[in-house]
Amino acid sequence: MKNNTNVIDLENIETTYEGERTPVIRDVSLKVKSTEFIAIIGPNGAGKTTLLETINGLLPYTSGQGFVFGKKISKHRTEIRKKIGYVLQNFEIDQLAPFLCKDIVMSGRSGKIGMLRFANKEDWEEVWYSMGLVGMIDFAQRPIGKLSGGEFQKILLARALAQEPEILLLDEPFSNLDFSSRKQIEILLNRIHEKRKITTVMVSHDLSFLPSKCKRIIVMDKGKIIMDGKKDRILTSDTIDKIFHNGTGLK
Amino acid sequence: MIELPISLIITSILGSMFAGFVCSTMGVFVVRMNLSSIGFCMSHAAFAGAAFGMMTSINPLISAIIFSFVTAMILGPISEKARLEINVVIGFLFSIMIALAFIFLNFIPGQAASGTALRILWGSIFSVGYNDLIILVLLSFILTLFIALFYKELLAVMFHRKLAESSGINTKLFYFAVLFFTGFAVSLSLRLVGGLLVYALIINPTSSAYQFFYDFKKILIFSPLIGIISCLTGFWLSLISDFPIGASIVIISAIIFAIAIILSPKRRRGNGMLYKKTIKAV
Repeated sequence: MKNNTNVIDLENIETTYEGERTPVIRDVSLKVKSTEFIAIIGPNGAGKTTLLETINGLLPYTSGQGFVFGKKISKHRTEIRKKIGYVLQNFEIDQLAPFLCKDIVMSGRSGKIGMLRFANKEDWEEVWYSMGLVGMIDFAQRPIGKLSGGEFQKILLARALAQEPEILLLDEPFSNLDFSSRKQIEILLNRIHEKRKITTVMVSHDLSFLPSKCKRIIVMDKGKIIMDGKKDRILTSDTIDKIFHNGTGLK
Repeated sequence: MIELPISLIITSILGSMFAGFVCSTMGVFVVRMNLSSIGFCMSHAAFAGAAFGMMTSINPLISAIIFSFVTAMILGPISEKARLEINVVIGFLFSIMIALAFIFLNFIPGQAASGTALRILWGSIFSVGYNDLIILVLLSFILTLFIALFYKELLAVMFHRKLAESSGINTKLFYFAVLFFTGFAVSLSLRLVGGLLVYALIINPTSSAYQFFYDFKKILIFSPLIGIISCLTGFWLSLISDFPIGASIVIISAIIFAIAIILSPKRRRGNGMLYKKTIKAV
């Protein structure tokens, strides 16, 4: 146990994929306070997703120390995950997939409810509340495979919220979406942060969509954190210009 | 048709019903988790195992279960890690299992035994004994209980394994539970449907159910139902026509699948357009 106010506390973390030699992220130290909204930006392959999945323990770190809620990640993985909502990068879902939206949103809570227990009235209330929050309550009975990209993203967000998370990890929440869907998700993220004060860590490679509630930015490149600070300062710095506009060919 | 004692017929009918139930229930998970090729391999391993049992005069059911579990234990972790191209491993294991089965069959002692040996290849209508029936009923019960108790975890894992893991579910446990039950279901149905065709009983009914429903619960109800209907109709077809039972069951389930594809509301043209319109209207 570690007692301090940081909900996420990483010290010199290094994560290497199984069977590989070079670590994807190296020497990463990161402290996130409760209710902070931060964005991790960087070019593709910078190790942003790896960092997110190190936080919720999906990828075990190979050296350093990591704590979430003051608990060691490597030891309390499952326990920690129940309080972390994770929204995966937009993935393909089979059109014929036999799941209704409400069941998918409920599946976010299944870890929290616990084994050998059944969803009760309060659990369903939380599901309806989350779906309402993202404006998808009318879609409850719709098959998940028939949604558009933006609708699907909202359901995944509702799924994470139904968990009543204390931390929200979002991996590229704007990827593969059209302009209006991006705008909607951006408004949603602001609203969720305002209403629920969930500590939010968002990963993005797109600088044009950073929700206004996001005040702190971390820049990653080649597996390392190269900058960490206030949004306005970071976005106008020379390093950003170098990484995003010249170096990697990204916009 | 020959006159048969009624108790034998009842045992066989119940046997095919429960075999249909366990196989097509497991099919729901196997199909959704993309384990089709693993299951395919396991069913042939069970076949080799049964042949081995006959050669060494141990209970073929036990050796079938052991063979199919060993295969699952090899293939499961490999496909998890994906360090090796899974299709290569499956192609390799599948051919080895068939080769082993033929070698074992060749060494089965005595003339009379070769008939029994051939029966595990294409199944036999009256091979389900009273003991097998008891085990099948027991497995059906355990399987139903397992699904009822862990429905929410199973649904989460079926939707997306990584997301399920991220919300605090031990997905490995459920992954191996599915492999475990599939091995059991295959080994128990082997003697009825036959080693070469048992896998169709896992895939066909489920694939038919997938054509009609978007609700996971409904698929879990209708897939076993179609499986049971396939088995019973196959049983009847085999009785009146003298077709081998395995072949009859597979043909029936394949016909149901073909009809399902044709009738499927999911595949109807213009359906997508209609759906978009309703979404907009809402």
